[in-house]
Amino acid sequence: MALPLPPGLTASEVGFLCEMEFVTVIPRQRLDGLELLGGPTQPLKPPFPTPLPLWLALLLKKQKRANISPPPWLSVEGLSHILDFETDTRTAEVFSPSQALPPPMGTRRGYEDYLDAEIVDFSPPFLPKSSTTGAQAEALPYHWLEVGHLLLTHAADDFDDAEGVRRLLRDLREVRMSKLRKGFKVLDAGAGVKLNGVGAMEIAEVRGFVGGVVDGLRKINRSREESRKEREAEDRENGLGGGSYQEDDDDMQL
Amino acid sequence: MASRLRGRPAHAPGQTYCSYSKNGRKLVTVGSNSLLRTFPHNSDDEPPVIDVRTDTHLAVAASNDFFLVGAEDGTVTKYSLLTNSMEEILVRCSLPIRDIALSPDNQWAAVASDEIEVKVVNTRDMEQVFYLREHPRSAKHVSFDFNNSTIAVSCVDGIVYIYSISSEQPQLLKRMDGLIKMLENDADASSRVIWHPDGRAFAAATATKDIQVVARADWKLQKTFKGGHRGDITAAAWSPNGALLATAGADKSLVLWETRTQKVVKSIEDIQDVILCLQWHPTDNVLSYTNTNGELFMRTGAVPGEHAKLLSIALQPAPFNGDPLSDISGNAIGPRSNHAKPGANGWDPASENDYVDGLLDDAIWQDGADFIEDDDGAGYAEAPNRNGKRVANGIAGPIAKRPAPYSTWQPKIHDSFQPGSTPWKGNRRYLCLNLTGFVWTVDQETHNTVTVEFYDRQEHRDYHFTDPYLYDKACLNEKGALFSCPPSAQHPAILYYRPHETWTARTEWRVNLPTSEKITSISLSDSCIVATTTAGYVRIYSLYGLPLKIYRQKSTPAVTCASWRDYVITVGNGPVGGDGTTRLLYTIENVKRDETYQSEDILALPDGVELKSVFFSDKGDPCIYDSEGVLLVLQHWRKAGEAKWVPLLDTRTLDRLAGGKKEESYWPVAVANNKFHCIILKGGEEYPYFPRPLLSDFDFRIPVSGSDEDNAELTHQKMLEEQFVRKTLEHSLAQDLVDNTHATHAQKSEVPVLEREVDKVLLQLLATECREGEERGMKALEIATLMRDQTGKMLEAAGKVAQRFQRDILAEKIASLAERRLVGIVDDDEV
Repeated sequence: MALPLPPGLTASEVGFLCEMEFVTVIPRQRLDGLELLGGPTQPLKPPFPTPLPLWLALLLKKQKRANISPPPWLSVEGLSHILDFETDTRTAEVFSPSQALPPPMGTRRGYEDYLDAEIVDFSPPFLPKSSTTGAQAEALPYHWLEVGHLLLTHAADDFDDAEGVRRLLRDLREVRMSKLRKGFKVLDAGAGVKLNGVGAMEIAEVRGFVGGVVDGLRKINRSREESRKEREAEDRENGLGGGSYQEDDDDMQL
Repeated sequence: MASRLRGRPAHAPGQTYCSYSKNGRKLVTVGSNSLLRTFPHNSDDEPPVIDVRTDTHLAVAASNDFFLVGAEDGTVTKYSLLTNSMEEILVRCSLPIRDIALSPDNQWAAVASDEIEVKVVNTRDMEQVFYLREHPRSAKHVSFDFNNSTIAVSCVDGIVYIYSISSEQPQLLKRMDGLIKMLENDADASSRVIWHPDGRAFAAATATKDIQVVARADWKLQKTFKGGHRGDITAAAWSPNGALLATAGADKSLVLWETRTQKVVKSIEDIQDVILCLQWHPTDNVLSYTNTNGELFMRTGAVPGEHAKLLSIALQPAPFNGDPLSDISGNAIGPRSNHAKPGANGWDPASENDYVDGLLDDAIWQDGADFIEDDDGAGYAEAPNRNGKRVANGIAGPIAKRPAPYSTWQPKIHDSFQPGSTPWKGNRRYLCLNLTGFVWTVDQETHNTVTVEFYDRQEHRDYHFTDPYLYDKACLNEKGALFSCPPSAQHPAILYYRPHETWTARTEWRVNLPTSEKITSISLSDSCIVATTTAGYVRIYSLYGLPLKIYRQKSTPAVTCASWRDYVITVGNGPVGGDGTTRLLYTIENVKRDETYQSEDILALPDGVELKSVFFSDKGDPCIYDSEGVLLVLQHWRKAGEAKWVPLLDTRTLDRLAGGKKEESYWPVAVANNKFHCIILKGGEEYPYFPRPLLSDFDFRIPVSGSDEDNAELTHQKMLEEQFVRKTLEHSLAQDLVDNTHATHAQKSEVPVLEREVDKVLLQLLATECREGEERGMKALEIATLMRDQTGKMLEAAGKVAQRFQRDILAEKIASLAERRLVGIVDDDEV
């Protein structure tokens, strides 16, 4: 019954999820709007830049039917600014901020909802514009590492300085991972690490480790009585069969 | 030179440097004793001597009336050349001075010392200093370009740092890695950047003992002067007209090169010591140099007989890869740089040869004035050599051809231009850049190659062709491409149309214009072709070459034209306004229906603002973009006398410029999908260049109010107000379109949608007013009366909004307004 995979998402799953992010595409040929499960796409009409889901953009890019214009943060200027922020001594403790929320649509003019049938408020981490050319230049979106990697792999010729971006992306990843690891030093049963601004892939990377540590600490620190109860409960479970399943389930919730 | 040249012992043996004053009358030498000497030109007399306290001098730079000397003790001292006395200590550094460069206008002196930063100090006011700090190690050499705007710093780390000093703070433009060699501070070898007098390029000594020419426009490596030296190059200098290059090496060699061919003209053998400093006399055939042994040589007739004429010809272009070989007669093909005419959008509407002559004249006229300043009125510039010729050319050429900008009696005429094209830069330019694609041409010396590329690669196939006619204007749309060329000796002006696809054989056609008539602008639409000419005619053809009509434009000279379907807008220079510039007038007509909508109406531009582009939006409304960066659209243009220019977007107020950090301008491409499509140009560029930059788009934002408020509530309200004005404009444009044309169903159905959008914005404005308080009720009611909806639904919604905020009186008033509207009692005028 035990799940073969570690808790949380694997890297390839995170990579798959990021393909739903929108990127800006400069079409090189016409294409009518497609009715997709995630909603209709805009019709493509060269040379007007159009937002498309990343997976579709990569498909068109591979067929040489479109160019992808990288989001502003995925540029040498944007990334070096973020890297400066990350390495500055004054902001050494925090991660660079994530992309700002779009202004709320529903709350401000709630009294006229009848005019806007499709008010959908987006919540982080899935922001509609975080990887299009309309994104902010100096903030990383939730899927920064995956989007950056995919674009650099499949659309390197659409970058001004792909090598520079790749290098900065690697630097940024190392700086942020070392920050995360520094955060582990303070891990305690009751303590936590503030994960504001941490990307999906980074969470996926450290989830197993942090979860294990916190759970281990919890087990060490709990009172004897509690542990006895738990053991009894576990025994009972084992008696009924499938104890390890329960344990995995616990892990999942962390 | 028959006899061996005798050196003049100027200083104690040791490093010695020299500099000619800019008028060439005096030659200042400094060396390793406490004497400075100023040798008069063409005289063997014992020179005047200035006694100074410092004893080792490493740099000198002279202007006409003063010179600067940098000493090993870190001082830069200013001496007067008129009185031969010390004036002041300009700069002090803590470490030895290595180099001094004077800007061509003598206003600034750049000082390189063993300190890391380079100081740039005003020579008249030593308290005005700024620093160049981007290079990590100390600078060995500094040099100014001929526009006073750029400094090249040769750093000891083997990298050339190019700074722009045209802005308040100096900006690093470029790091040129791998050009020069890493050298010690006190090495004899030189890594100095020497700017070519034509301003397009500079050269520097490389580690391979060659001289490499680098283009200033794109920092690309150009031609090389190879194989002249076995030792490191210690000094190099362009002759004043750029036709010759003199270099000296550590192997005790001195070589003269011809710039055009990069071949050695002469290798001078009798050099005893390593030459440290080479100086051409500004006008005469004299090359002076100082060496490591404290000696000065003034080599009269340095350029041997058969090549001496190279010194007396006009300014020569820097040697570029792929540049046409220039003829030394000085009036064949010259440099096709656009720096000669920075203000104008383009090129003279003259013939090709005239155009080149004009450029050459301009180049000589302007650059010549730059690099030899006749500010003492000594008249050396009128000397009976090449300068005499130059002056005559300069006055006869450009002034006659171009409007003089400062004369009061001559009106300033707006130059004609072709929307969507750029001037020559390097050997290529865009003829046309729009949303369909782009057309660019490359100069191949005897002919051009024209390339047409499309954004939609499925619909159209890119093509290119060899162009012997030297087309200089082009238009491109979904149906075809239109080209025009200026007249030349072999052919008159030609209009050439090439459709993309046909169902018979290709029906491309050419039309020859009458001799001596030149085309000033062309435009292409889905149904017609328009050309304005220097004869003042507007010539209109069908897409198959059938001349439809021809008439003389009322306001001439023509500036530009644009067309969309059957609508044609032509712009010409009208009467002269109070400030001496002509008012631009435009005419809009429908070619097929033969209706004139606007006749000689004023193109609204404020003082000193020029027209940058004219085009039709994708909905068919005329738009203009001016040099201030404002995009305007013409409203109500189908009714004579009612047209007005409405600003759609002021690019100076864009959010992306808000921080003040970015310095960029926008090159207009089109207005489509309710967006302004443009190319973002950074770093003071005026025109897009290669590789083709990406198109950017901006939403319209009518400059209704400033956006300096931090108050989110107020900003929101301002945004709504702007939206209201913009939607009203969009609605009126759509309404005009539907009223005046056989509109499609989609266009007709758009009008009520836009009307509804206006009302929606009004509803939101009403809500903000209601939220503000009871006392804003009057304004709220006014907003309600502005609603256009005839069904009463919007007023009903407005009443609901008022009720929600418990503004009962307001709600009542709105209800009664709605009632009266419903029975048709109240007309809008009565409110």
